[in-house]
Amino acid sequence: MNKRIYILFIISILTSSVFGQFVGKDNLSISLFYMQKAELDSAKKYIDLATADETLTTAAKTWYYRGFIYKELYKKREKQNKTSPLRLISIESFKQMLTLQGAEEFSESAHKILKYEASTLYNDAARLLDPRNYKTATTNFEKFRNTMLLINPKTDLRARDIKFKLALASMLNRPAETAAGLDSSQADNVKNLYIEILALDPNNPAANYNLAILYYNEAADIINNMDYDMDIMKLNEVQDRCIEIFLEGLPYMKKSYDLNYKRRETLVGLSNIYYGLNDIEKSDAYKKELEDLEKE
Amino acid sequence: MLFLVSGFKAPGVDGNSKMKAIFIMNFTKLIEWPKSYREGNFVVGVIGDTPLYSELTKMAKTKKVANQSLQIKKFSTAKDIGKCHILYVSKGKSQDISAVLKKVKSNSTLIITEKQGLVDKGAGINFIIKNNRQKFELNKKNVEKYKLKVSSNLEALAFTVK
Repeated sequence: MNKRIYILFIISILTSSVFGQFVGKDNLSISLFYMQKAELDSAKKYIDLATADETLTTAAKTWYYRGFIYKELYKKREKQNKTSPLRLISIESFKQMLTLQGAEEFSESAHKILKYEASTLYNDAARLLDPRNYKTATTNFEKFRNTMLLINPKTDLRARDIKFKLALASMLNRPAETAAGLDSSQADNVKNLYIEILALDPNNPAANYNLAILYYNEAADIINNMDYDMDIMKLNEVQDRCIEIFLEGLPYMKKSYDLNYKRRETLVGLSNIYYGLNDIEKSDAYKKELEDLEKE
Repeated sequence: MLFLVSGFKAPGVDGNSKMKAIFIMNFTKLIEWPKSYREGNFVVGVIGDTPLYSELTKMAKTKKVANQSLQIKKFSTAKDIGKCHILYVSKGKSQDISAVLKKVKSNSTLIITEKQGLVDKGAGINFIIKNNRQKFELNKKNVEKYKLKVSSNLEALAFTVK
């Protein structure tokens, strides 16, 4: 008898001290309790349960706190992880929150956090811009964009787009400065990036100049690889193709000239392109301009 | 001539010279030289300064004309011209065409020039630019008077035939 009373006594103590306080409370409240105590793992456990609970899953508050808890976890555990899943879950949670009724109450705070998370994505994208990680960098940049648009669908991201694409193109174009050069698929990737930049900013000097160089190099490659035994019919076809490519590059180099970008290099570029086009008079005119410039 | 700047591939790719060299290689196949010219080296002479000379020299390192090794010779003046299968007269030496013709008149030499009008003044073939493209004019009589035979294919490929 004494033993039974003792066991009941122990159970009553336990329920009232630890678990007792959660009796009748939902998973969201429990999660908030742990969050206030900075016990993030427990907070995460209960907020995940809350989002799966049909009575809580439609509440903006549930998703707001999920976003908040995951953001805190990201800061604590995955700040150095440039592909942090915690950060992405946080963003997804806020995204979900913004679709629900009652989101207005939390939207200001959610936007602030999203802005912070977007900036970390952007910084990580910039840090990953190297030949091994550029695909992850691009993914991060896309996530940065989407997050910014989540905050305000009218956000003008053109300047950021241009800056990132220029940095990416410049990184991908680095082999062009070496003896190895770019293979045709690498060159196409870089070319497409510059074309995308010019769609956003037709007067971008670096994109105009570099795109012209890429076209020039494409034709130069074809010429370099021509065999001396090539028959005249084939030679005429190759000539047509090269002329086409030089003509494609020409307007971009002319634009670079109009924008007064890299004056010396642009004059060399124009002279070389016109030489490729067999327009020796124009080629010589730009060469002369360069010589005059160098005399100054 | 082309010049190089960072980012530009291939130290000064000279497409014009490369294409002319390929044309010349084709001429060696589409023109027939007399039997006595089918022995020894196949000599291509170049008179005057032209970037084509270095391109031809490059070509001669890897290519032959039938069984004949290619030899590229440079001449400064018409006086210096020796026996050659092909003589390329650079633009800068175009005014010397009469002296060149005098010098090679007893040889079987294909005279190639690169100045408009020279195909009417004794050149067998003259390089021209049409719509940014390298083409050539052919004066069959001027070729054949040096005992050379022109294939019908070459006629078909010429921009104009006289």
